[in-house]
Amino acid sequence: MILHRLAADLHRHRLAQRAPGGPLRDYLQTSPPDPGTAVARLRLLALDLETTGLDPRRDAILAAGFVPVDGLVVRLSGADEVVCRAEVPVGQSAAVHGLTDDMVVAGVEPDELVARVASALAGRVLLAHHAPLETGFLSAASQRAFGVPFPATVVDTMELHRRVLGAAEGAIPPGALRLPAARAHLRLPAHRQHRALGDALATAELYLAQVARLSGGRAMTLRALQR
Amino acid sequence: MPDVEIPEVVDFLAQHAPWAVLSEAQLRALARRMSIRYARRGTALMTVGAPNDEVFVVRSGAVQVDDDSGRLVERCAEGGSFGTTTLDGTRSRFAVTALEDTLLLVLPAPAFREVTAAHPAVDGYFSQQRATRLRQAVETVNLAQRDAALQTRVGDLVRRPPVGTTADTTIGDAAAIMAREGVSSLLVVEAGRLVGIVTDRDLRNRVLAVRRDPTAPVATIMTRDPVVAAPDDHALDVVLRMTSRAIHHVPVVDGDEPVGMVTSSDVLRLEQADPVSLVGETAKQRDVDGLARVAARLPGVVERLVAADASADGVARIVTAVGDAITRKLLELAEESLGPAPAAYCWVVLGSQARLEQGLASDQDNALILSDDAGPEAAPWFADLSRFVVDGLTRCGYPRCPGDVMATNPAWRQPLATWRRLFAQWLHVPVPEAVLRSAIFFDMRAVHGDAAVVRTLQGQVQATAPQSTRFLAHLAKHAVGNEPPLGFFRGFVLERRGEHRDTLDLKRGGVGAVVEIARTLALTRGLPQLGTSMRITAAAGAGAIAPESAADLRDAYEYIRHVRLVHQARQVRAGVAPDNFVPPAELSGFDKRHLRDAFAVVRGVQHTLAQAHSVGFVS
Repeated sequence: MILHRLAADLHRHRLAQRAPGGPLRDYLQTSPPDPGTAVARLRLLALDLETTGLDPRRDAILAAGFVPVDGLVVRLSGADEVVCRAEVPVGQSAAVHGLTDDMVVAGVEPDELVARVASALAGRVLLAHHAPLETGFLSAASQRAFGVPFPATVVDTMELHRRVLGAAEGAIPPGALRLPAARAHLRLPAHRQHRALGDALATAELYLAQVARLSGGRAMTLRALQR
Repeated sequence: MPDVEIPEVVDFLAQHAPWAVLSEAQLRALARRMSIRYARRGTALMTVGAPNDEVFVVRSGAVQVDDDSGRLVERCAEGGSFGTTTLDGTRSRFAVTALEDTLLLVLPAPAFREVTAAHPAVDGYFSQQRATRLRQAVETVNLAQRDAALQTRVGDLVRRPPVGTTADTTIGDAAAIMAREGVSSLLVVEAGRLVGIVTDRDLRNRVLAVRRDPTAPVATIMTRDPVVAAPDDHALDVVLRMTSRAIHHVPVVDGDEPVGMVTSSDVLRLEQADPVSLVGETAKQRDVDGLARVAARLPGVVERLVAADASADGVARIVTAVGDAITRKLLELAEESLGPAPAAYCWVVLGSQARLEQGLASDQDNALILSDDAGPEAAPWFADLSRFVVDGLTRCGYPRCPGDVMATNPAWRQPLATWRRLFAQWLHVPVPEAVLRSAIFFDMRAVHGDAAVVRTLQGQVQATAPQSTRFLAHLAKHAVGNEPPLGFFRGFVLERRGEHRDTLDLKRGGVGAVVEIARTLALTRGLPQLGTSMRITAAAGAGAIAPESAADLRDAYEYIRHVRLVHQARQVRAGVAPDNFVPPAELSGFDKRHLRDAFAVVRGVQHTLAQAHSVGFVS
């Protein structure tokens, strides 16, 4: 475990050396929280990306929404949303996320988006619902913009929800792990879906409710969340 | 940090008082100063004696606030807030616990102080206690009445100085004065004091028809000590006095001194005075069909009264006056067709009509008290009478009582001695089911016949009820069991199924709950009052309820009835039968907030009542 962690640190260190100076390098040089960190003190950044599709190699990021979580408090003061100037047309995906070609044209360049996320994520755990999508797209965008991938320490609320639902109950019904279903299961209010910041906030709230369930009031560490 | 909008939070705040008064930009800025926390059910959010420097707004779920002696203060559902009383450094006097898994928006004290300093409306909202807010709501509602026709004072209706004479004036001279002055009534005054009244009708009925000598003194035909009004009385009260006694002339006296006369045509000139004509029309009808046609006008009259912002209590009294008039007329018609009664009897009304609180959706509840000397041979006559009146009432739009509490039911058509036994049984050998069904009989009023029998029964109840601990406990248990529809996730609990799905029942946990509380309180102290507000006031006087709680409960009662009345008037306008079920979409934000306050008051009093009667309180 310790060796694994050392290897990961070393990897980040090497990437930092290859990355250009700026928020991305700063991010890579800042250690993520230790796996032994208590959940009550764990700093995370709930992140949601809106994309033109599901394939990081072909599709592009259209927007990133994020909000910091300090321990068991969601800090709305740190909430932000960044719309990206995509290299590909928004096309039919506009029907889902509501971002039109015009809005996207007015957005920032992809490297700026990666830099903004990196800056907000420094020293924090990336918190997302089905995190492989977020890490995959961030890495692809980072690779294209800066020539380095985007490593992140991750907590995935979809995986946490699998545990909330209980493996012993057998097959989890289709759709039960989706963000709205997971929130409804924990009796959180309905939210507007497919807006980057709205989904990030929804994920952050879901995380608070999941941690309350899974910890049952006892101390819990980052390691236990990633198990 | 860029001023990015957080729509979920901004939208939420915009939907809830007091934040809704802030502009979109102000809400955006406010949202950014908040944080979000989550508490599982049972989590202690604040404890008594602990400092606190944050304001909490319930985003979803619910919390309970208890005071330092563990008494429930309130429950905050979605949009409710707590924590504001400790921001000045005082330690919390309250304990706050999550009742459900709860999501909270948290605002730090400095940000809260900035908002309240910049927005008096927000400040005002928090600086007032819940009960005060409710009182203001009632006042706001009643404020609108100032300009309404029914707020007219009797003094405003007096158009000329009184026309009067002395008691020793001859009948002929009195008639000459009336002819000269062009008036239909004459005041009889002795030493500046009103002693009687003579009307056109008296000259016809008591002089010409009986060939009385017109040289006799007018004192021989006058009505002594007539019903009077003071200049400050509401015109509405005079309307009610006229309708309930079927009189058309009411002298206005200031102290003892006569200052004028108000006639039914004066009040008819008032825009909203059709209740008088309605009762007048009732008296003129010759058959049930005619009565039914007159009764059909009542909803429209109520609708106009509501439009004129009459108080819920005033409207209920008018509806009751019309109900009484129709009942009396039906009894008269029945006696005409059946022949004279074989024994003395008293027709009594029960429930809301007895309390002068009849509404448009009220069922008929009635019974017969027969003289103890009525033999079995009299039974068919009373059965026929009951059928005639109950059927007549049904045709006049008063639905039959679903519980069959009507004089047509032989069980409720009994000699006085049997009634006395029944009451004794209810009070001393209380069976839960029977107590429940008997409750309505403790609201009883005579509308026709010998009222003394009702006073006998009431005397018995007042003397024995306070000692009937088990009976009172059953009554209290039922009174606290009708839980106000205060919900948690959506603010109100809506009906889940059936015809009234997704509506708010204003009767069961609202008006009905207050009625039962008031009845229980009154019986606990053996009080004679029938009206709910009067019972609450009297109960406070007798120490059965704290005066502040009594005032809050009266406000809550008036407010819930007001909302119900507006709802019923809307149904009447739409041509729908009026009921007690309000779709929340019909309610304004003002109504919703104050209804919630009103229901919280009802719940609080229920809680106290439960403790007083050691009733298991299921919350």
